[in-house]
Parts: sequence; C-alpha cells; structure tokens
Amino acid sequence: MLRFDYLKAVSIDNACELLSQYSGESRLIAGGTDIMVQIRKDDERLGNMKYIIDIGDVCELSYVESEGNTILIGAGLTHKEACSSALLKENVPFLVEAVNSIGSPQIRNRGTFAGNICNASPASDLIPVLVALDAKLRLKSMSGERVVEIASIFEKPYKTTISPDEMITEISFKKLPAETGTAFVKLGYRKAVTIARMNVAVCVTVEDGVIADARISAGSVMPTPCRITSAEQILKGSRPAENLIESAAKEVSKEMIKRSGYRWSTEYKQPVIEVLTKRALKKALGVE
Amino acid sequence: MPLIGQKKFKYLNKSIPRVDAFNKVTGKTRFVADINLPEMIYGGMLHSLYPHARVKRIDVSKARKIPGVYAILTYKDVKKPKSWAIFMYVTDVARHVGDVVALVAAESPDILDLALKSIEVEYEELPGVFTVDEAMAEDAPILHEGMKSNKFEPSHFKIRKGDVQKGFAESDLIVERDYETSHVEHVYIEPEAVVADPNPNEGAMTVYATSQNPYFTRRWVADILDVNVNQVRIVQPPVGGAFGGKEEAVGLIAARAALLAKITDRPVKIALSREESILESGKRHPFKLHYKAGVTKDGKLKAMECNIISNLGAYNMHQYMNFRTSVHAAGAYEIPNVKVDVFGVFTNNVVSAAMRGYSAPQTIFAVEQFMEEVAEELGMEPLEFKRKNHLKRGSLTATSQKLTAPVILDEIIETVVKKTDYERKHKQYASQNGPIKKGIGLAICFRGCGLGSEMKDSSGSMVTMTEDGSVLINHGLVDQGQGLKTAYSQIVAETLSIPVSNIHFIGVDTHSLPDGGMTVASRGTVMGSQSLKIAAEQVKEMLKRSAAIMLETDKENVELEDAMFYCKDNPEKRIPLRDVCTMHYWTGQQASVYYWFYPPDTNYDMSIGQGDAFPTYAYTCVVAEVEVDTETGFVDVVKVTSAHDVGTAVNPSLIRGQVNGGVAMGQGFAVLEDFVVEKGRVLTQNYDKYIIPTSIDVPDIDVLIFECDDPAGTYGTKSIGEPSTEAMGGAIANAIYNATGRRVRHLPANIEKVLLGKKLLRGGGK
Repeated sequence: MLRFDYLKAVSIDNACELLSQYSGESRLIAGGTDIMVQIRKDDERLGNMKYIIDIGDVCELSYVESEGNTILIGAGLTHKEACSSALLKENVPFLVEAVNSIGSPQIRNRGTFAGNICNASPASDLIPVLVALDAKLRLKSMSGERVVEIASIFEKPYKTTISPDEMITEISFKKLPAETGTAFVKLGYRKAVTIARMNVAVCVTVEDGVIADARISAGSVMPTPCRITSAEQILKGSRPAENLIESAAKEVSKEMIKRSGYRWSTEYKQPVIEVLTKRALKKALGVE
Repeated sequence: MPLIGQKKFKYLNKSIPRVDAFNKVTGKTRFVADINLPEMIYGGMLHSLYPHARVKRIDVSKARKIPGVYAILTYKDVKKPKSWAIFMYVTDVARHVGDVVALVAAESPDILDLALKSIEVEYEELPGVFTVDEAMAEDAPILHEGMKSNKFEPSHFKIRKGDVQKGFAESDLIVERDYETSHVEHVYIEPEAVVADPNPNEGAMTVYATSQNPYFTRRWVADILDVNVNQVRIVQPPVGGAFGGKEEAVGLIAARAALLAKITDRPVKIALSREESILESGKRHPFKLHYKAGVTKDGKLKAMECNIISNLGAYNMHQYMNFRTSVHAAGAYEIPNVKVDVFGVFTNNVVSAAMRGYSAPQTIFAVEQFMEEVAEELGMEPLEFKRKNHLKRGSLTATSQKLTAPVILDEIIETVVKKTDYERKHKQYASQNGPIKKGIGLAICFRGCGLGSEMKDSSGSMVTMTEDGSVLINHGLVDQGQGLKTAYSQIVAETLSIPVSNIHFIGVDTHSLPDGGMTVASRGTVMGSQSLKIAAEQVKEMLKRSAAIMLETDKENVELEDAMFYCKDNPEKRIPLRDVCTMHYWTGQQASVYYWFYPPDTNYDMSIGQGDAFPTYAYTCVVAEVEVDTETGFVDVVKVTSAHDVGTAVNPSLIRGQVNGGVAMGQGFAVLEDFVVEKGRVLTQNYDKYIIPTSIDVPDIDVLIFECDDPAGTYGTKSIGEPSTEAMGGAIANAIYNATGRRVRHLPANIEKVLLGKKLLRGGGK
C-alpha cells in the first residue's frame, strides 16, 4: 500500500492553498471510493503522491440549487444526496437514475460528483449524463477561477486536463425545456453493484410533434466522453419514428467504431450499443 | 415419503436456531484473523511474477536491512522447500503465479509489505502451457520433473459397463456433443488465516488455522518442521466458509507460518488478502467434456461414452475428484453400456482443487443438456425422455451398483414439474415475441453420499456427559459454516433425549482426538455422525446403570426422556439426569465414550469402475426459470425450485440455508462467474472483476425437502451441501435454450456468450 501524509482542508480556499503548496504531489480525497482502491493496489495513476488532502468535511461544497434557468451542484454532493434531491428528480430524472445505479448504497453514501468526474472512468454512470446536459465545471486554484465544458476535460481514460493545483468546486447546467424527455440505460454483468459494460444517456425535446433537440452520450463506447452529434442530427427536425430511432442508433455504433476502432469487443458492443440507444431514445420519447 | 414431517423425532426435523448464530450475528465470534498473541509478528509471501519461470537471481539484502524485518527465506534457505505432496512451500521454479519465491516475517503488516516490495528478483521466463490442448501437445514443456507428460496418471478413472460398441450398434440414433466449463472461485467470506505459536508446552508448534481439515493441516506443519505429528497441535476456531478451498491452501500457509515462527521464535500470523486468497486457493477444475450416446427410436438409452479432461493447474493432489466425476458422468440414468474416461493434465494456471461438488457439477451441466439434445434429435419431449431413462429403485447405475434403497426421483420430479407448471411453460416459451424471452429448464442428478469407495468413510467421536448432566462433543470434523455444530448437537440430543442447550461442541483440537478424516464430500452429517450416535447410545447405557441403582430397579426397566430417567413400568418414579450424572461421577465413573466408526467394506473395482461406489445416493431435481434479454445476452435468473431428497431432515432451516447458498453459487457458476486467466495470469483477483450474484441478482428460491427411509446414513440422513448446487448449471442452461433456442455449451453463460453464441476473448485471444 502506498505511503502518504494526510492533510485536512477546512474550506475551499484552504484546499486551494494546500493544493498549491503541495502541487503535483498531492491528491484530493472526498468520499474516497475510487482513490482508496487505487491506494490499496499502488495504482500508478497516483504517481508520486505524498499527501492526501481531505475535503470531505468542506460543507460549502455540498449543495443543489436552482438559479434562474440554471442548476448548480456543489462538487462534494454525494450520489445519495443527489438521489434524494427533489430539484434534480423533477428537472433531470435521468441524472438521478444514473447516480442511483452507481455501486452499492455504501458507495453512493460516500462517493461525490466531482470525485466521479475526476476519476474519469470510461464506465462512469454520471459523466455521460452530464455530457448530455452540456454541463460546465467551475475550477478553482490559487491563481483564480475558470469555467470549462465538461466534455473538454477528458484527455484519455482516467486522465483529465484539470491541473494538479486546481479543484472542481461546482457543476452547472441549463434546465431542459419543458417538452424534454430523458433516459439513462445501463448494461452491466449483474443487476446491482455493477460497473457499466456500456451505458447511454439521452435527452430529447419534442415540439409540435417534431424533435427540436436531441442529445446522446454513451459510456464505455468513445475514447473520451462526448455527445454523438452525428446521431443527434439524424433525429433533429424529424418526427419520432421507429426507423429514425434505428438509424440514430446505428449512427452511434458507427461513430464508436470510427473513433475507437474495431476492437476485440466490438463484435459484441456494436449490436448492443445500438439496442441500448434505441431503448434509451424510446424511453425518452415515451414510445415504449 | 412426500416432503418432510412424517418421521417421529423429538429433536431432529426441528428448525432450531444455529448454536453459533448469536455470536456470529453480534460480531462476538473470534475468527483466526482476530487472534493476536503476545510478541506476535506477521508473515507473508512473495508470489511469482510469471506463470512459468526460473528464479535467476534473488536479492533480499535491501529488504533485510529494513528495521523490523525478522526473517527472509528463499528457496535456498529452506531445508525442505517441497512439501510432502507435490506443492512447493517456496520455490526457485514457479509453475503458476501463485507460487512463492520468498517468505518474510516482520514486526507489522506495513513493514512486511515494504519488505516484500524490496526483494529484487530476476526471472528467466519459461515456455508455459495453459490449455488442456497445449499441455497435451507432443512438444509441450513438461511441468514436473520425472514425469513423461503433463498427464496426471493417477487421476485417470474409468467406467467400463457392458460394451458401448455393441450398444451403439443396437442404437437407432447416435448423438455427440462437446461442452466446457471454467474455473470457479469459492468466494468464502473469510480469507485464509493462520497463527503459528512456537509453544513448547504443547510440542513443537501450535497453529490456529481456518482449516477445513485440521488433521490434514497438521501433516503439512509436521512436514516442514521435520517433527513427529504428535509435536504439532492444530486448533480450529470458527471457519467462515470453505467449500473445499481450505484444504491444501491452508496447509501450505500453516506450514510457512510455522517455519517462520520456529526461526524467529515468535508467534507468526499469516492472513491472506483477498487477492492472495484468490491466487493461492484452488478453483473448481475447468472441464472439457465430450459426450456420445446411442438411443433407440422409442427413446431408450443404449450406450453412453464420456471423455473428460480436466485442467489441473500447476499442482494437484485430488486425483479422487475424478472418481466422483466418473461415477456421476453418465447422470442419473440407467444405461446398459457405459464407458467413461476422465483424467487431468497439469498446466501453468492457478491450482484447481476441491470446490463444492468435487467435479460433479461440471458433468451434470453437460449431461443434463446432452440428454435434452438427444431427446430433441429423437423428436421426443426432453422430460419424457428423462422420465423414461432415469434411475429407479432396482436400477443398475453406471458402476453396476443395484439401487436397493428407495429412489424417489419420480416423486421429486413430478412434484417439481407440477409445482412449477413446467410442461405448459416449456411448451409456451418455445415461441415468444419481443426481445425479453422467458425460459424454463430442468435438471436432475444423483449424488453418492459421503466418501464411498474413494476411501474408508470412517471417523471417530467422543461424547462426554459431565457431572451436571451437560454434554461435551469432541469430533474430528469441522463446522465450516455449514452448521455441523448444530446438526451434531441435534443428533446427540435425539439419541440421549436431552435438550440441545445442554450440548456443547467447541470445534477441533488435534491434541484431543484422533484424526477423523476430512470435512468433505458432504459426509459430515450422513457418515461423520455415525460414531456420534453410537457413542451417545453407549453413554446412555452407562448412565442407565447408575439410574437403575438410584431408582431401585433393573437397568432394563430404565428409560431416559427429556433429561429425566424413569421406570418404564412406573413413569411416575423418576429422577433428573443431572442427579444421576452427579452420582455417577462421585462414585468414580465417567459417562464418556470414544467410538470409531468403520464402515463395511465396499465392493468396487477401480480399474473398471464397477461395483458399489457409494453406500447410498441423494436425488435432486431443479427447475430454473429465466428471462433472457436476447438483444444484450443478459440472463436474469428469476425463480429456482430446488428439490432434494435428504433422507432425514435434521434441521429443515439449515437445509434451506444450504440450498439457498447452493442456488446462488450455482447461478454464479452458470451465468456470472468468469474467472479470467490469460496465459496463466489471473485478471480477476478481487470482487471488482470476479462477478458473483448479489442479493438482488439471486432468484426467488423455492426449496422442497423430501425424506425417505434409507438405512445407510445416521438416522437415515443423506448429503445436502453439494447436491444443493450441482444441478444448477444444467437447469439454467436448459432454461436459456428454452428461451432462445440456442445452446450455451461453455460456461459461464455471460452476456457475450449468450448473445454471440461464442466466447469473446480479450484482445482477440492474442
């Protein structure tokens, strides 16, 4: 097991100070559901980590709010807290569904939004939903603050472009138009405590019988999380129909192969990501 | 006898709470890993980086300099690196990734960890063999010195009944199929742990061990220390699950801890992490099975031939597993001509060993699908075909054993078929619309109770009635979570007619009783308690003498009931057991009996696999209901009806517990548990990757318990631990076929295999 020192931050500013002071050799810990596992197996991703900075008790990081047309989520919000948020349930039911499928009750009690994002697992259940929502991340460090698109931070699996002295403080996204249906569909090897073999998050806005907007994002499918715009384009401007859904789903698998290449698992993933996409779209459209 | 409840027992047939339940659920139970002795230090192992490699150079100098490191032992420091069996305590040639190249003892787990990481090893990789085919190739590297090939010759077991060639010639149809199964991990909740204490008062070494077979563990410790067996004491605290896994794996670490303890003169604890446990403990053998059957037009089986090869991994001492395999390979069917060949080959994989079912579940998975495939080729309903051919009272088994005791398969099958509405559903599910398809599948099996002709199923026990009327049980078999302490207490309670609360069975201490063999083969209750019943009866007879004096009557006129002695001719004339025990003791007598049960000889010819293989058999029928997502391959096991002939139900609640666990384990074997070894490397070393069913995945389980009158086991009991899991693979596979119209002939039936109809190899298998 890796050896390190433990530091406790009492506020966001304090955490930023510590991150700056031990830049490059420290990691933040909140729920610890990923990093504890990595520590136990001497994961090389932790590199030369010498300090753990605990932000688990920084309560200013834990909130869900609505501000005008925007929903603001504190970086330290736990999955369990998200599951019991009426605001999230009402506005983004697929987000609640996704986080409710993460790990076990114990994991959901501890695990946080920012932790899940920073771990940057290709199989994350939360990231595809936030990507579909075009969520923005507020990053803070001693040198200031910046706001970035969530999809822009993923360099490769388990690696983000967030700099070592920065921390996520807030996640935000615009509320969806009233006529929007959402869905999150996940396939794992078993029914609970399961990592997604693949997952799909979609939101579809239908106005006057026509799909005005569609957003599709999938986990364990693309090299880095992103919206699959070519598939979204197929849907936009048309009336929902079986063959339309079918072609959008096919486009998702086509895009997967185009971007990730044809791999040993593609023989399975290709037909199944199409099925999952179809199911998600139908669910969002309320046609099944 | 339908279901349970028609036998007249006072203490058996009762669902009393487990005697160890309270301590376990309140966290009071002390397991081996909880034991901390004064001055105790920590032992650990450095495992090989490669599945087949020679250690060219090993440098421990850096590790040795770490303060708090007490001992580092490599191959050259150990006088006897090879155990009494084929296994290595520590080696310079690693034959699998669980092989150990260095042993370390240190002040704390942290220092131990640091020391293990500071050992520098340079390996020379050797070419490895991983599949059965690779191991048997003509130019294959041979794993073990002195062997001509990788075939483990003693593991070749045969059945030769009748003449299969003649049987095939008389058949109207011949069908052949191939099946395969994978490694399966035990997944006991408690990883292996030992504490070795160099306590001179008790001999050379005392070891507290999570052992399934403490006397067997003793042999390893005496071996490594090169001392007589009487110098080693093994104490067995409560064990958190074993399922066959805590035999040689625990023997090895007990020996290593003992050696480190001897060298450092400090108590040494070795407690395996989950990763180490998965690396070192034996898995269920992966099987390759080829089946060939001949049948007549009217659906009578004429001949069956089974060729089975098992993947042993690097080391193996379980040649007798294939005795079990051979006896059960042809299934619970009466076939006039049977030929079975089964053997194992060594490979550079992790070790295969005993795992709940002892290599019967693999054959049942195969034969239960095979019988349905044969029926289908014949154009016959599979159930009809099974009804026609299954074993009945008076049948001759594949080993030509005549089944003289009741065979209640008919009754069990028909009850389950009716209760599950099997026939209607089976027909209906053959044509369904929509992506989610339902399926129902049935499997039957029979299981030889106890060790049978594998080896003498003898064991001994001591029953001691103390001066206050309470009873101590000493027995060589262990409670490993299956509930043996409760079952034994009930059996003694029944025999003596005293309450279970007056009986105490603490567990095994090898200094207190002779070796009663291993707690395996579901023999604990059915055979292991034979001696217990007789010892208790003899204790009762002893006490009757004292009671007769106190009641002023003849011994023949005295009876014991509910802890009260009374005169048969005048039940009002009575005296409490406690008073009799007190008098018995103070008059210089002991109400204590040690009895060794030695079963009658069996008539079995191993060379042709003919004769009486087991004293009797337990019969099973399982129906599994599934929902298959035909677009993703996900198999949801929705309901399982598991019906078992237990002979006599000692404790129906515990039987249901066994069956619930067996169903979950069988579900894992059938659809979920994919133990991934790639060129000898284990990719599923913890439960993040090795997927077992959670409580949410486990189906709704209906347990049906049947009793019958069979004199072979104690109080008519039969085995249940292993029968409860072994039919699951076949039942689920048949249900998947019913849903999808496609056979999964290679377990586990995971999402990829069910969807694509083939195994998807990581990296394309390169």
